Amino acid sequence: MGEDQLTDSTTAAGPTIATGEARPAGRGVSVGSALRGTGRPAEPAQNTIFDVRGLRVFYGSFQAVADATMAIREHEITALIGPSGCGKTTVLRCFNRMNDLIDTARVEGTILYHGTDIYGEKVDPVEVRRRIGMVFQKPNPFPKSIYDNIAFGPRIAGYKGNMDDLVEESLTRAALWDEVSDKLKESAYALSGGQQQRLCIARAIATSPDVLLMDEPCSSLDPIATLRIEELMIELKRDYSIIIVTHNMQQAARVSDRTAFFTVDVKQTGMRTGRLVEFDATDAIFTNPREKQTEDYITGRFG
Amino acid sequence: MTDEHNPHPDLRSRFDAELDGIRRGAVALGSLVLENAERLIEALLESRLDLAQQAIDADDVVDRAYIDVERRVFRIIALQQPVASDLRLLISIIRIAHEIERSGDLVVNCAKGILRQQGFTLSHPLQGLIARLCRATVDLFGRSIECLAEMDHEGAGRLDEEDDEVDDLVGEFYALLATEAQKMHVDTAIELSRVGRYMERIADHAVNVGEHITFVVTGIFPRHAEIDED
Repeated sequence: MGEDQLTDSTTAAGPTIATGEARPAGRGVSVGSALRGTGRPAEPAQNTIFDVRGLRVFYGSFQAVADATMAIREHEITALIGPSGCGKTTVLRCFNRMNDLIDTARVEGTILYHGTDIYGEKVDPVEVRRRIGMVFQKPNPFPKSIYDNIAFGPRIAGYKGNMDDLVEESLTRAALWDEVSDKLKESAYALSGGQQQRLCIARAIATSPDVLLMDEPCSSLDPIATLRIEELMIELKRDYSIIIVTHNMQQAARVSDRTAFFTVDVKQTGMRTGRLVEFDATDAIFTNPREKQTEDYITGRFG
Repeated sequence: MTDEHNPHPDLRSRFDAELDGIRRGAVALGSLVLENAERLIEALLESRLDLAQQAIDADDVVDRAYIDVERRVFRIIALQQPVASDLRLLISIIRIAHEIERSGDLVVNCAKGILRQQGFTLSHPLQGLIARLCRATVDLFGRSIECLAEMDHEGAGRLDEEDDEVDDLVGEFYALLATEAQKMHVDTAIELSRVGRYMERIADHAVNVGEHITFVVTGIFPRHAEIDED
């Protein structure tokens, strides 16, 4: 319940150009050219985009995540899996400082994004969220037209290019253009769930981010819409780095390059803290994991 | 993790039971072939044509057991989407069952040779050597099935060395056969050389079974590791 509220409030703040008055940098950048992926050639997926060291997250005195260290690579899909309460969504939210929006949340350790600590003092969280977009579990289009859903963020960000082109390009990249090109002025709510989710991906792309965070993006979709989103993710990783939280282990196995498995430790006090157990290439995790806890989870032996 | 994550523990224990059932199905398949191989040795050494015929007839039972294992593996893969060690086990069981079934066919081939020859009349040295060769082969095969029953990957790893013994005996057998071949009908010599070949193959299948067991337990397939190193 609290979770939903969180989703709503962060959505409004959302990939957040919306409230980005204080945005210092980026106002003059050409969103369009960045969108076309210039300056980001399809290089071998080697570079580390997020270097996470000793990440700990607290909500008040409650520790949600214990000491996670992992290197997330560029142009890869990284899946975070694990049971409810294991901290995977909390970790996902750390990557674009969405936990800042929760008063009691405290993040320790470092997350270096292209070598810069995103929790550094001079870093503008709004700019962080522009570069690191989020797609949520439930499709959450704005109550506006399809066109305006895409144009909203760039417009507020002061985008000076051709908006029609940007809308078309964003929708094309999100594999939605062909389905909506003749009804751009219609309400986004008229779209199916799967189309709405692709619209949200198009909206996230429109502000030319570098990373897409996805929090169970397919959990409310049928298998056909799910497949489309999964295909889209594989398409998108050429231009973006993607981190996805999923409860669907087969989805993690199908789409991701690397998988992080989190579990939840229950202390005697009843405190439940998420812990990163294993982080490895997805095929290693699903064919021969190193840790017994990973093996037990992915093979469905929870007891 | 705690029980609360799994609201249906029965589902998983049923899955475990089915996995174990499939593995035991493969062991049972191996036992059938082993039994048939013992029958064959007696048929060969004592010219018991009735036992040779029984070995041939028993192959239907072997085939049915093989198909049963294979069907169960397909079914559980389709319904349960196994991963990690479960998937390694199931893929390996399919391959192991195939190795065993092939061994069973080779036993049958030998038995048919015995019938064609109406039994072999062998010199004392040749009789002694073929007895040792068959014994070593069938023992090796039996140990591979024991390793499967116990999922004993250390024992499975030793099968390769034991196979060297069989190979040596095969070499010895061919050499002796070559010297004695002039004294026998050409068909008999050919049939006997086939027996040597079949024993060698059965031993190789046993070694393969061992490699699959190693893969299930360790995640490393010995032959793949060798190829990767090259």
